Amino acid sequence: MRDYYPRAGPSRAAYDRAPLLEALLIGAIGLSAMVLSGCVTATVQQVREAHTGIGEDDRVVVLGRRNKSRNETETDFIHCVSEQITKKSDGVKVMTENEFVDSVFPWFEPRTAPLDVDDLTNVISRPLVAERIDEIGVRYLVWIEGDTVRSSEAGRLTCNIISGAIPACIGFLSWDSDSNYEASIWDVKSGIHAGRVSAEASGTSFVPAVVVPIPIIAQVRQSACTGLSDQLREFLASES
Amino acid sequence: MMTRSTNAPTRTVTKAVRPGLALIAMAFLFGCTGANVVVEIVVPSPLVDRLPVRVGVFFDESLKGYVHEETLEDHGNFRIELGSVQVPVFERVFDALFEETVALSTMEAGDGVEAVIVPVFEELQFAIPAQTRSQFFEVWIKYRIDVYDPGGELLAQWPLPAYGKSNERNFGFMEDSKGSGLTEASVRALRDAAAHLSFYFPRVPEIADLVEEA
Repeated sequence: MRDYYPRAGPSRAAYDRAPLLEALLIGAIGLSAMVLSGCVTATVQQVREAHTGIGEDDRVVVLGRRNKSRNETETDFIHCVSEQITKKSDGVKVMTENEFVDSVFPWFEPRTAPLDVDDLTNVISRPLVAERIDEIGVRYLVWIEGDTVRSSEAGRLTCNIISGAIPACIGFLSWDSDSNYEASIWDVKSGIHAGRVSAEASGTSFVPAVVVPIPIIAQVRQSACTGLSDQLREFLASES
Repeated sequence: MMTRSTNAPTRTVTKAVRPGLALIAMAFLFGCTGANVVVEIVVPSPLVDRLPVRVGVFFDESLKGYVHEETLEDHGNFRIELGSVQVPVFERVFDALFEETVALSTMEAGDGVEAVIVPVFEELQFAIPAQTRSQFFEVWIKYRIDVYDPGGELLAQWPLPAYGKSNERNFGFMEDSKGSGLTEASVRALRDAAAHLSFYFPRVPEIADLVEEA
């Protein structure tokens, strides 16, 4: 609930300094939002089923499963993992999801994409598809499943304009965020399942407010993305 | 002095209220007024084996100018304009599927081809997350593919259902998620139609017979 009208008649001086105080308040909120982030607990695990290793011309594609009716992985998360692998890459080249699905259309559409490596073997046994995959140099497909959910939302925050036309908030908000993602790595060249990497992250965000709200946001999805992509990069590049 | 002290709070209050008003305006614009969707799509050429058949393709009016308009209670008016993009989608698929395709201006101009194919638009339905309590914008399109012999006799009617969805969580707070969500779901439905057609149309018995005879 907002109350924009001052309850008592403030002095002119109060009105004159109001824009400055307002600017300071907005600045403080902005700064706190940039600086403060809540604690995040992240766990990354991997299961290796086959040797990996990546050649100079080999490329990796990070894909999201689009055939599910719920918990579909966020597009941003797929982009984040692709970008993080590319940025910190030591020889791992990443092709974007859109570029890949367009170049092998219609074999990796939501209803036609292979669901396991046996399906993949069937798809790449077709000369046209095999030739195209060879042409674009895709060696590994990384299928990502999972999402981030928000739960246990609690608290209340109320903002009013108090005497002197200064906006002020009071209250406390909190919520939990949980990320749970799993990446399956398929070796297209060998037609095998090379392994699995998973990342879980959780954290609680708070917004305490005594005049100035101070958002302390847990960067849960970002942590899961960083953890998963670092582990994937290591998984793909290592020869073990 | 009185004037100043009366005006000053108005100025300050207006300034403080402005972001709030902007949010309310956006909520009004994006939350209650539906969406106007103009679909644009270029479907990639399907990677499929070409059938050794020469076919004629006729696009009827239902495919050229279709606009879906619907009012959802509490959610506003929705307009999805598919019209002009459907023909290129079908052309792209038929060009990849058949050895030769001939664009026909009338149904009767089927000389020199082994069959005449007529895609027909039947129905479009959509749903927004608020209706289904899911996180998806969804679009269903129903096409029918009619196959005629060169003499104009109907050989087969094949149903082509297509589905596309788009996750509302992929759109930011400041985005017009209804417009973007329905656009993306429509694009995915058209891609799905192209994929389904590329995969399964060659298995239609009447088409398989033409291939055998060729």
